[in-house]
Amino acid sequence: MRHESIARPPASDRARKRFSELVLPHLDDAYGLARWLTGQRADAEDVVQEACMRALGALEAAQVEQPRAWLLGIVRNTAFTWLAKNRPKALLVTDDDSIFETAASAGEASPNAEEALITAADEARVHQAIAALPAPFREVLVMREITGLSYREIASAAGAPIGTIMSRLARARALLTANLVSTA
Amino acid sequence: MTPDSIDDPDLLLNAALDGELDAAGMMGIERRLAADPELAARYARLGALRAAIRQHAPREAAPEALRARIAAMAQTPPIAATPQRAPSARPTPWYQALAATLAIGLAFGAGADRLLVAQQPIDTTNAVVASYMRSRLSGQPVDVATNDRHNVKPWLAGKIGGGATVVDLSKDGFALVGGRVDVVDATPVATLVYQIREHFIDVTQWPNPNGAAGRERRDGFTVLRWSDPAHSYAAVSDLPAAELEAFAAAFQKAAAGESEAK
Repeated sequence: MRHESIARPPASDRARKRFSELVLPHLDDAYGLARWLTGQRADAEDVVQEACMRALGALEAAQVEQPRAWLLGIVRNTAFTWLAKNRPKALLVTDDDSIFETAASAGEASPNAEEALITAADEARVHQAIAALPAPFREVLVMREITGLSYREIASAAGAPIGTIMSRLARARALLTANLVSTA
Repeated sequence: MTPDSIDDPDLLLNAALDGELDAAGMMGIERRLAADPELAARYARLGALRAAIRQHAPREAAPEALRARIAAMAQTPPIAATPQRAPSARPTPWYQALAATLAIGLAFGAGADRLLVAQQPIDTTNAVVASYMRSRLSGQPVDVATNDRHNVKPWLAGKIGGGATVVDLSKDGFALVGGRVDVVDATPVATLVYQIREHFIDVTQWPNPNGAAGRERRDGFTVLRWSDPAHSYAAVSDLPAAELEAFAAAFQKAAAGESEAK
């Protein structure tokens, strides 16, 4: 990945200036998303570096309204391309969201009891549960809970309608709940 | 977003948890939660899930080595470097200014901001944005850490004199983190730090209201200015502009209520 980038033409002064204004302030968010999409910190560094290369190239011309959502959109696209190439099994892409409904509604019996189990979950279990989410659900959850994007920003970054984002987020939380409750 | 536009109660609970409902929508859901224990239990379960994620999977900062590599991409390549025109006309990249501020800041504290404003003596926007970035990078956003405004106020009074406006915005979702003293244009000024989700908001205030108001973007951050009869304010954050506007509105409302109470 890194040797490919050497062949790129050098960026203009203007693009570099915009890069330091629009991209650098959001590096932690970019890394936070890449870390959960790739599952590995070292892989996340590669993805963030490649995404920043793409961002710098795009800043020659791109109009950027929401820098953070724009950058995270590039990061998620880069991460999915990277995963498809390097970890194809990690990508479970499905158009049929309903296959998760069974799992999601399995533990509806007593929300009070489940709340206690969730509160008792330790770091390893929470990490495992997030990592176990299918990628389209995991990215929405991470953008919302870990990088703090609004629904509108997530829709813009993930390139999906806001209704899709909302149902994926609700599904992601239901899957997490079912997972944390079942492994308790 | 209003409840009428959402049929699924699950989506409604999620939107309420995420602060995506408008005031009328929030009132509606609060009424339903009060009347429906099963719904309330589901909402509490969502809240517990959020708390577990925040506690066990917080956002990790990008490793320093990665940050350095990415920051280098914004630098002029040495070979292609053109002779410097007028050095003073070329703005210092923020990370260089920041590195200098960090190094000297250890010795001089907030006084190092003078380095940044030296180039543009009246540009307080640059100074407040630089303070914001420095405090985030140094991991010490405040000089006095407390969520109680009654602790921040006397601390600030001891440093720069009394009269700072400190308001409690926890009901609006903005938690007070603490306060610090910044130096802007050779004057020590009070800066309050609030937090929402993973985001910080710095509010710097000057004792002389100058009537300036407006919004601008600087280095990827939003800066919002307003005045009241006592002070002029500048709020800086990496939040989306709309959310920072909501913060400023809440701050103004609370500050107005405070001065009436006196």
